[in-house]
Amino acid sequence: MTVTADANTTTATPEDAAPPRRAPWWLRLLRDRAAAAALILLGLIVLAAILAPLISPADPFANSRNVMIPPIWSERGMAEHLLGTDGQGRDILSRLLYGTRVTLLIGLIGMGLGGVIGSLMGLVSAFYPRLDPWIMRLVDMMLSFPAILLGLALVAVMGQGVVPVTIALGVASIPDCARIARGIAVGIMKQEFIEAGRAVGLSDLTLFVRYLLRNAISSIMIFMSLRFGQLILLGAALSFLGLGARPPQAELGMMAAQGRDFLLFAPHIAVIPSVLIFLIVLCANVAGDALRDVLDPRLRG
Amino acid sequence: MSTVLEVSNLTKHFPVRRGLLRRQVGAVQAVSDVSFSVKAGETLAIVGESGCGKSTTGRALLRLLEPSAGSVKLDGEEITALPPSRLRAARRQMQMVFQDPFGSLNPRMTVREILVEPMVLHGIASGERAEARVSELLRTVGLAPYHAERYPHEFSGGQRQRICIARALATRPRLIVCDEPVSALDVSVQAQIVNLLQDLQREFGLTYVFISHDLAVVRHIANRVAVMYLGRIVEEAETSALFADPRHPYTRALIAAAPRPAPGAVTGREAVRGDAPSALNPPSGCAFHPRCPLATERCRTERPELRAVSGSNVACHHAEQAEPLPLPSAASAPSELLNRRLEVLARARAASAA
Repeated sequence: MTVTADANTTTATPEDAAPPRRAPWWLRLLRDRAAAAALILLGLIVLAAILAPLISPADPFANSRNVMIPPIWSERGMAEHLLGTDGQGRDILSRLLYGTRVTLLIGLIGMGLGGVIGSLMGLVSAFYPRLDPWIMRLVDMMLSFPAILLGLALVAVMGQGVVPVTIALGVASIPDCARIARGIAVGIMKQEFIEAGRAVGLSDLTLFVRYLLRNAISSIMIFMSLRFGQLILLGAALSFLGLGARPPQAELGMMAAQGRDFLLFAPHIAVIPSVLIFLIVLCANVAGDALRDVLDPRLRG
Repeated sequence: MSTVLEVSNLTKHFPVRRGLLRRQVGAVQAVSDVSFSVKAGETLAIVGESGCGKSTTGRALLRLLEPSAGSVKLDGEEITALPPSRLRAARRQMQMVFQDPFGSLNPRMTVREILVEPMVLHGIASGERAEARVSELLRTVGLAPYHAERYPHEFSGGQRQRICIARALATRPRLIVCDEPVSALDVSVQAQIVNLLQDLQREFGLTYVFISHDLAVVRHIANRVAVMYLGRIVEEAETSALFADPRHPYTRALIAAAPRPAPGAVTGREAVRGDAPSALNPPSGCAFHPRCPLATERCRTERPELRAVSGSNVACHHAEQAEPLPLPSAASAPSELLNRRLEVLARARAASAA
C-alpha cells in the first residue's frame, strides 16, 4: 500500500483524486491458489451434503445381498454402486452423502455453541478485569473434563445420539475458545485506542462491540475454523466409539468404525469415509489459514 | 480571559496489593496535591522525567483514571463528581490526543468511522452533515477528503497523529489534553504537528494541556509551564520566565540536561546524581532533597509548599538562593565544525534543488 507523502506537510494541498483502491477481501482470498482450491472443494462437499436426498443414487439405509462390493475402478466393481457397498450391502456413496451431512452439522453446531459461549466468556473476562479470576477459574474447571468423558456422561444421561455428542463437543470447546479469546482480548485492551474510545465518551457496550469484538473477531474466527477440523475429528472419534449416531443412520466416523471389521479384505469401506474426513479437516485448516492472511489488516502489504 | 480548567489538589494513588487476601501493602503516589488552572486559549505544559506522574495527571483530568482525591472543574462544572452517563456527555468538551499514533486509532475502523463516531455520539452531526464535516476536518488537519475511506494502518505516523487531532476536534471541545503528542514522531514531523496544534488553537480558541518531556517543544508551544517531580508540581511559571530564570533546582537541572542543537557546546553544569526515588516510598520532606545540590536539614524534614518567588510559583525552601543561569551556550558563536557541516548541507540542498 502506498502512503502518499504529499499530505505530510501542512502547507501542501493534497490532490482530491483518490488513488486506486485494493481488491475486496474475498477476491484476494481466491487469488491464493491453495485457499481457492480448499474453498472450492469444501464448497462442493457442503453442497453435496445439502443435496444428499436429491443426488444420492440409492437408499442409504437399504440392505442388499451385494455386500462388500469394491468401488467401480476395481475389477469386481458394479456400475450401480460407484463406491461399492459396505458389509450390509448398503451403497457407500449414498451413505457418504448422508453421513457428511451429519458430520458437518455436528462440527458446525458444536463449534458455534462452544465458539460463541467461550469467546463471550473470554472477551468479558478481559473487558472487566474484576470478573477475570472468576470466569477463568470456571474455565479451568471445565478444562479438566476431556471431551470423550463429557460425551460419555451426556450419552449416559440423554441416551445415544447425535444431539448429546454435539452438546459434548460444544461444551468441550468452550474452555479453549474462552482462553484464546481472553488472550487476544487482553492484548487489545492494553492498546491505547480502547482508552481513546473511552475518552471520546463511548458506552461500555459500544466499546465492547465496536472496539474489542471487532478487533478480536478475525483471530477468533481463525481459531474456530481450525477448531472446526478438530471437532469433526473428535465427533468422528465419538461416533467411532459408538457414542454418536445410532446404527442405521450414517455418520463418517461411524462408517469408518464399521469398516474396520473388514479392513483386510474390503479396505474401501473404512478408507473412503476416512479420506473424506481427512479432506474436510484439511480444507478447513487451509481455508482458515488463508482467511487470516486476508482478514488481518496488519498483515496487508 | 475566563478560566477553562481549574484543578485543585488532584491526587491519584494506585494501591499495591499483595498476597492471597490482596491486602493493600502500600500505594504508588503517582500524583499528589496537584493544583493549577488554565485560561481559555492558553497552553499549559506539564513537563518532567518519565514516571513523574504527568501522564497520570492528564488521564485523571479526563477521568480516564479515577482520581483518588481533589477536584477538576471544566468551565465551572465539577468533573470528578459526575455520574457515568453525565461524564460521557461531558467528554464532548474535553478530548485527548495520545502519544502513540499507531496504537490510539482503532485499526478496524476507517477514518470516516473514526471521525463520525464522536459526532453522532454527542449529537453534533449525522448523515450528510457528518460526511461534510469529515471532509472539512480532514482538510483542517492537512489531509484530503479521500483519506476518509482508508484504514489507520495505511498512514504514516504524522498522518495518524493528524487523524487523532481531527478526532479530538470532531466534537468542538473546549479543552484538549495532548499526552506527548509528538514524542513518537521524528523531528521534521514533530514541527509540523506542533505548528498544526498552534494553528488550530488560534482558529478555534482551544485550550491545551500539553504533556511533554521535550523542553524545546514546550518552549515553542506553551504559555505557561508546570514542572512535575515525583507526583508534585515543583515549579510553575510563564514559559519565558521559567526558561530565563528557573528557581527550583530540579527545573534548573532539567533545563541544563536538555540537549542543545550546538555540537561541542560545553554545558558547564553538573548533572543531577542518582535516580528518581520510588513513588511507592517517596523521601521525607522535599522529594528532591536526596539529589539536590542545595539540600539542607530543613529540606529533609519539611515539605516546601508552592509559593510565589519573583513571578514563579516554586516549591523550594531555597528558591531565592538559586543563582541566575549562565547565558545559554547556543548564543555563543557556532563552532568551526558546525559551520563546515552546515555549508555541506547548504550545497547539497542547492544541488538537489537545481
